[in-house]
Amino acid sequence: MNKSLQPDLLALVRDPIDHLTLIDHVRAAEDGAIVTFDGCVRNHSHGRRTLYLDYEAYESMALLKMREIAGQIHEQFPIHLVAIAHRLGRLEIGETSVFIAVSSAHRPAAFEACRFAIDTLKRTVPIWKKEYFEDGAVWADGEMPPAPLETRAAKPAS
Amino acid sequence: MARRTCAGYNSLVSLSSQTARVKVLFFGRLKEIVGHAEDSVELPDGAPIEALFSHYGVNHPELARFRASLVASRNQEFAAWSTPLHSGDEVAFLPPVSGG
Repeated sequence: MNKSLQPDLLALVRDPIDHLTLIDHVRAAEDGAIVTFDGCVRNHSHGRRTLYLDYEAYESMALLKMREIAGQIHEQFPIHLVAIAHRLGRLEIGETSVFIAVSSAHRPAAFEACRFAIDTLKRTVPIWKKEYFEDGAVWADGEMPPAPLETRAAKPAS
Repeated sequence: MARRTCAGYNSLVSLSSQTARVKVLFFGRLKEIVGHAEDSVELPDGAPIEALFSHYGVNHPELARFRASLVASRNQEFAAWSTPLHSGDEVAFLPPVSGG
């Protein structure tokens, strides 16, 4: 069988994420494991009750960065396929915001690759969420992506 | 080169120098501060991303407060603030990311 025939699945979606479609996408006869990560909307944040979230993305760059993550986990772990979908727009409590499925012949690679994928996504993919509370809304505290080193003469605006 | 801008005020250059037109994107709270998601700006060819950001600081001084927590991108790749810009480039100013 030729593993390269079926590509990884990387998607930004506005409708509810269909977990089974992603799981089935990575499932193959040569795999003994599929590990999934289901990131869902929590009903509280920093001690406040969350009503809902609103996600936005720099879509073209986000897809490029998601593809980079797929490439990285193929390089670093002996996995078969990965599927990553992130949802945008308004999400209600309990809904899935991001779903990752990774398949591999043996389970350690799929576990490690799945963990690496979500950790890297949260640090490098240009997606932002706004949290809506009963008394207002804030952009969630995020992580700064690793910026390229400045060459000479770069100076912050004062 | 013809001097055409989207919003009228958003030109960094005099008429005589060689210029570049770049697309600028804002996200998250930056979009709320600037008031729009997308802009088109003419600037001296080779000007750094930093100069483009400073340009918006003139009309939106509160942007400076966020400078230290921003990462810039050029053509969908994270880029140093010193990166020179050329015609057709797409620049974005990215607040800390919070996907997942």
